[in-house]
Amino acid sequence: MVSGDQHIDAVRAVLESIPDPELPCSIVELGLVEEVRVEEDGGVHIVLLPTFSGCPALDMIGKDVQQKVSSLDCVSECKVEWVFDPAWTTDRISEAGRASLARHGVTVPPPGEPFTGPSTTTLRTSAIPCPWCGSTNTRLESPFGPTRCRTIQYCDDCQNTFEDMKRLAPGGGDD
Amino acid sequence: MTNPMNNLLNAPEAILVLKMADDKLFLGHMQSDWTGLGPILEEDIASSSMAQDDLSHALVLYEYLGNRFGLDPDVIAYEREPGQYLCCDLVTVPDEFNWATSLVRRWLFTHYAAPVLDQLALFEDKELVERARKLRAEEALHVEYLDDWMRRLGSGSDEARDRIQKAIDLLSTHAGMLFELPGRDLEPDDSFCCSRSELFKEWDTNTSSVLEQAGLMMQVELPDLKTIGGRNGVHADHFAAAHAEMGTVRSADPGAAW
Repeated sequence: MVSGDQHIDAVRAVLESIPDPELPCSIVELGLVEEVRVEEDGGVHIVLLPTFSGCPALDMIGKDVQQKVSSLDCVSECKVEWVFDPAWTTDRISEAGRASLARHGVTVPPPGEPFTGPSTTTLRTSAIPCPWCGSTNTRLESPFGPTRCRTIQYCDDCQNTFEDMKRLAPGGGDD
Repeated sequence: MTNPMNNLLNAPEAILVLKMADDKLFLGHMQSDWTGLGPILEEDIASSSMAQDDLSHALVLYEYLGNRFGLDPDVIAYEREPGQYLCCDLVTVPDEFNWATSLVRRWLFTHYAAPVLDQLALFEDKELVERARKLRAEEALHVEYLDDWMRRLGSGSDEARDRIQKAIDLLSTHAGMLFELPGRDLEPDDSFCCSRSELFKEWDTNTSSVLEQAGLMMQVELPDLKTIGGRNGVHADHFAAAHAEMGTVRSADPGAAW
């Protein structure tokens, strides 16, 4: 018999091994895991946050979590729930996640920069340090990138494109 | 025995959510026609991403209604009679694969969707508020992006300005009906309606400011309250074609999943 804490540690270890299907980091590093709860009957309840409501990877991530956590001996059942509150933002991406994304040419806005207006999505449009050459002679090429959560940026020095994670206002709707 | 769909269609708050979901379902469906055909790669990706956003926003709202009324979101989306859809005419007008029309349609709509989502985020139901906030934050991207294109095309070549102005002239005749009240029995001062004239004023102010910067013209008036259209299930002819095409897979293979 394992204690509740050990139980949660085992579940967390599994979650840390689950990659995001579209980004080079785990769902834990990306900040998608909001809560892990162990019920008295040994069932596990996992609360996840979607990056964007239209992310096509959500189903795959949910199934992956459900299958892998359920396969633990100490888990009788695993339930996955997606919630919108708190809202996911790039501030939830861990240091390790940021480092891994940077190695793959994906930049992330630094955490804690204030949002500039109500209900806005703060897009960075210039001077993002290029992940390939470090130059800040960069510009927004298109706010719609290969996935819902990334923009396409262009570096005018090394003439490469890179991607920047979009930082959604967590309290969209507040004025 | 009560019928969950009838319960939904007769709940004043629910139909305010349903009209937004229906608008986004049809807009996303119409816009996805352009996937693979956008004028340049970046625009193709942007257009497809917006269609994807709109379809997912529809799903998020149908899910909310489904949870509340005990219905499968797909059943709400696909298994109603044409007269039970509450989308406005604007979202099903064929764009005839004219890029300017597609762009102006999205632009007129996003300036309506943003304040409506703001209103839904003020409701008392926590689940609805959380969903509306998430969608509103994403909608902000559509507003910024489409405003930018309106300004660029309006201040571009003569041909660009001419094309975008023609699209405005074509679609602005449908824009007033965005503000039609769903539910013939709703009173215009009913708190559920969040003031139709204030919503129109916000839309008009925001679109006019972009048009002024772009050097473009548009004249839209708020239709008389008695004018009945899509929001009450009375659809223009072009709705039938959009509805039939959207339901092709569903009717060929009910319950299909992949």
